[in-house]
Amino acid sequence: MLRPALVFPPRFRLLRHRGPPAPEVPYFCIKIERSQPAEIMALKQISSNKCFEGFQKVFEHDSIELKCKMRFGIYLPPKAEIGKCPVLYWLSGLTCTEQNFITKSGFHQAAAEHGLIVVAPDTSPRGCNIEGEDESWDFGTGAGFYVDATEEPWKTNYRMYSYIKDELPKLIKANFPADSERMSIFGHSMGGHGALILALKNPGKYKSVSAFAPICNPVQCPWGKKAFGGYLGSDLTKWEAYDATHLVKSYPDSHLDILIDQGKDDQFLSAGQLLPDNFIAACTERKIPVVFRLQQGYDHSYFFIATFVNDHIRHHAKYLNA
Amino acid sequence: MENEFVFSSDPAALDPATDPAASMMFPESNENEPEGLTFYHMDLYESKGRLEIFPEEPAGRGDGALGETSKESTGPGEDFGSSDQSAYDLEKEVDELTKLYGLDEDKEIDQELLGGNIATAGILESKETPAHNEGVAAGSYGSIYNAPKSSSPVNGSQHKKHMESTEEQELPGKDSQDESQHLHNARAYDELHNHASSKEELRSDDRQDEQSIQPNSEEEAADIYCATCKIPIRAFDKLFGDHKDHEVTQLGNAVESAKEEIQKNMCKLEEQVTEMENFASHLEEIFITVEENFGRQEQNFETHYNEVMQTLTQRYEEKVEGLGEEKKQKLEALYGQLVSCGENLDTCKELMETIQELCKDKEKADFIKAAVPVVDRLGEFLKKDMDLELSALPDFEDRVIDFADVQQLMDSINTIAAPSAPVINPQAPNSATGTSVRVCWGLFSDDTVEFYQLYYKQVSDDTPSEEQAELMLKVKEAYCTVTNLVPNTQYEFWVSALNTAGVSPVSERAVYVTAPSPPIIKRKERRSCENAALVCWESGNMNPVDSYTVELSILTNGENGDIITESIVGIPNCEALIQLEPGQSYIISVRAVNMGGPSERSEPVSIHTTGTYFYLNEDTAHPLLSVLEDGLTIACSEIENLECDLSFRDNGFTRCIAILGSMIPFQGKHYWEVEVDENMEYRVGVAFENTHRHGYLGANSSSWCMRHIVTPARHKYEFLHSGTTPDIRITIPPKRIGILLDYDNWKLSFFNLDIAQHLYTFNSHFQHYVHPCFALEKPGFLRIRNGIAMPASITLL
Repeated sequence: MLRPALVFPPRFRLLRHRGPPAPEVPYFCIKIERSQPAEIMALKQISSNKCFEGFQKVFEHDSIELKCKMRFGIYLPPKAEIGKCPVLYWLSGLTCTEQNFITKSGFHQAAAEHGLIVVAPDTSPRGCNIEGEDESWDFGTGAGFYVDATEEPWKTNYRMYSYIKDELPKLIKANFPADSERMSIFGHSMGGHGALILALKNPGKYKSVSAFAPICNPVQCPWGKKAFGGYLGSDLTKWEAYDATHLVKSYPDSHLDILIDQGKDDQFLSAGQLLPDNFIAACTERKIPVVFRLQQGYDHSYFFIATFVNDHIRHHAKYLNA
Repeated sequence: MENEFVFSSDPAALDPATDPAASMMFPESNENEPEGLTFYHMDLYESKGRLEIFPEEPAGRGDGALGETSKESTGPGEDFGSSDQSAYDLEKEVDELTKLYGLDEDKEIDQELLGGNIATAGILESKETPAHNEGVAAGSYGSIYNAPKSSSPVNGSQHKKHMESTEEQELPGKDSQDESQHLHNARAYDELHNHASSKEELRSDDRQDEQSIQPNSEEEAADIYCATCKIPIRAFDKLFGDHKDHEVTQLGNAVESAKEEIQKNMCKLEEQVTEMENFASHLEEIFITVEENFGRQEQNFETHYNEVMQTLTQRYEEKVEGLGEEKKQKLEALYGQLVSCGENLDTCKELMETIQELCKDKEKADFIKAAVPVVDRLGEFLKKDMDLELSALPDFEDRVIDFADVQQLMDSINTIAAPSAPVINPQAPNSATGTSVRVCWGLFSDDTVEFYQLYYKQVSDDTPSEEQAELMLKVKEAYCTVTNLVPNTQYEFWVSALNTAGVSPVSERAVYVTAPSPPIIKRKERRSCENAALVCWESGNMNPVDSYTVELSILTNGENGDIITESIVGIPNCEALIQLEPGQSYIISVRAVNMGGPSERSEPVSIHTTGTYFYLNEDTAHPLLSVLEDGLTIACSEIENLECDLSFRDNGFTRCIAILGSMIPFQGKHYWEVEVDENMEYRVGVAFENTHRHGYLGANSSSWCMRHIVTPARHKYEFLHSGTTPDIRITIPPKRIGILLDYDNWKLSFFNLDIAQHLYTFNSHFQHYVHPCFALEKPGFLRIRNGIAMPASITLL
């Protein structure tokens, strides 16, 4: 049978015929400026590196939700050059920036193979000059906890939940060959908590969810108590709205396949920060399908993530490419 | 016949009576009259052409006839009905003649004559109708149109065949002229605007010998046929003329029935010709045979007479020589006797002379002195016996000449020599069946053989050959199909030839073997996957066979099972791994093959290349584990410790209440499912065929399995290999477990099928082929599903 010749989307074709674009002005930028008012979203490419025939790029943009400049990493698989690809969001843990995952986890090969766009945002607003934001590593900068803060002085900027849920996907959809119908989410530690709550609070929005050593029950752990107290105040019901273990209990019986890897030698596991057992018990009770793998000898590091990231990519690809 | 011939030879008399259309034809026929055949051809083509034209005709007419016509079905019976009807309409308007002979009778005969007649009737009507009744025209045309449509092909071909055969066989001109006359008449009749009904007829079966000559000088042409006088007459004559009381029939019908009769005779002639041809070729064969045989006999005589002559000559020479010898001997003997006789005579004479001399001597003293020696000498001489017997008889002995051998030779001239030993051929490939062999042999020389005696007996290692019964068959030909034999068995054959002179020596012995019995496919032990099937069978034969042939046919839409789409030959063992296409259904059967040929096909098995199909190897089952009737459900009713008395079991599991499946040894992906109760405790996975039977599945390096146990706190799932398991918690206990074995990627994966959840994947480079294994750890059952396609939800992993 004759196969029709591959037709590139017009913008790609245009680009190729136009010659090399100015390095600091990426073509995405040009496109946006033409198609959408510049005042909404302007993307600035910080870096671009070819990786497994695709590109690992970092962009900066002015976030409306967070009212600051935010960076995110995005991996565009080779498949993105010929069509729309599903998007997998990665949420990093405490203290991380967009760089940790893209430099340490080695997810690129699997993502390239499965044709997934992987977006890795930062973990909190930065440079907002809020008093005390840089005081501790587990609160403020680098510790947004993926909640929409309700307490002063955080509530203006610390709206990571809405940023991840709405603004970032919109931005990705507008600027990249992303299939907004197909997206999944995963994360590590605090990011694992973020991934779980985003999936559990928005049934059907994400095709699948997985996590590495997630903070499963923040209401019960020191990190969670500190962060939630700071961002959400003292009302425990507000806390529970961002607690995976609590959210499971009210999760409608819609399909969600959860994969969790947990290092057995994770110091935060023994410190009672992660509390996966609570989450599993709740899921067992609520019949939410979870495969929880307690990995012998692994700790909380990116070495642990790098070991199992392919399993997670595959887990998501199964649903995203179905 | 005579009468008609006369009539046809004088058509000039008829011609003036016909209308111009008809007469246009006749001049030609007049000119060609002497060449009856030529005329005949013309007519043939004309009538045939006309018949062919008819079906097309209505297309040109746009009138109601078409509609009516198309509504009518074209069965001959109905066609007839309609034509009959239209004829009936016509008849109302014409003579009373029609009424006289009745339509019913008419109908009967028409039906007898079927197509041919109908066609003619139709044609006739078509000619009549326009001239007389426009109102009837439509119906009439309809029937005309229909009748030829259904009957003309038959009719035409009959005509044609009829004509051709007539021509080929070069029958006397008279016959063909006669035939042509019929057609001629029919044609003439067609062209006439005849008011008389086309259905007029008279019975033609009781013809009488009376002949009367039709008056030819009438203005009108003959239109009916007088059966009594066997001549065509005008209808007018029937009413008023000489033929008033004669039986008449419609001329066309008469023509048709005559044709039919002739045709029947033609067929008979054709048969006879074939018969004669066969006989001729038979005669030719015999001619050649006689020639050959006599030639052979001449040679035979020549050699034999030569032999006899030689023998006689030799005998003569021997005799003559013998006689000469004897003569010589006798003469020599006689001569010797004669000589000695003369000598004696001389001696006597000398003695007498001496005595006489002595007597003359007077002196006494001298006398005495001299007399004494003489007397002694005389006495001595007389003492000698005088042999006066004949030493040889003058007559020769009367010797009997022995002609016995000559006689024998003479006799053998007329009798044939006993044949020499035939030569038995070795077995031809594929010449045997399970119960018969075809044995062939030949002769070196041209010996005359009346029949052969074919001996045979079974060759067996078990019983000494002397004990095997020898059987004998008398055979005329130099081959024989010996039946009622035992399959896949060797038989010794030898043969001798016989004729009146005696029996030949027997030939060498040749060993033939019967084809094997069909193998028996082990139906239960078939295994398959998407791309291959493994079929095992039992030989079905006591003795080994050379090889097996697997035949497979692809099933499409449930049929076509008989068309062999592929054969795999030369399979040495009782199993075959067959590469197949995925997603198809196959019928597979096996034949055993030996020197004698292939056996019958075995009972076939069907294979579906959907998913992987394996069976449970009950030899490996723990005694407490039972396989239910469906072959894929395992159950265990109670757990007890049986360990002590299990040591004798060599292939069964002794500790773990387990069983192994037998899966096809084929790379690629294999998928099956297990259905379990949520609270059932089990192990499912894969194991090498030789996995430790005394250990637990997953506890060693030769098995990989998922284990489920229920602890007071929770359902516990282990993924065991070499006794270790990752620590994995599963929140929803699976009830349907999908197991995917992927040799290509060295993976063994487990899924919760109800929610398409991936549970665990072993990454292991399987060094050997593995087999599914199943174990129960508490009373209950577990159902296996195989031969199913892999669900799409897990294909991505």
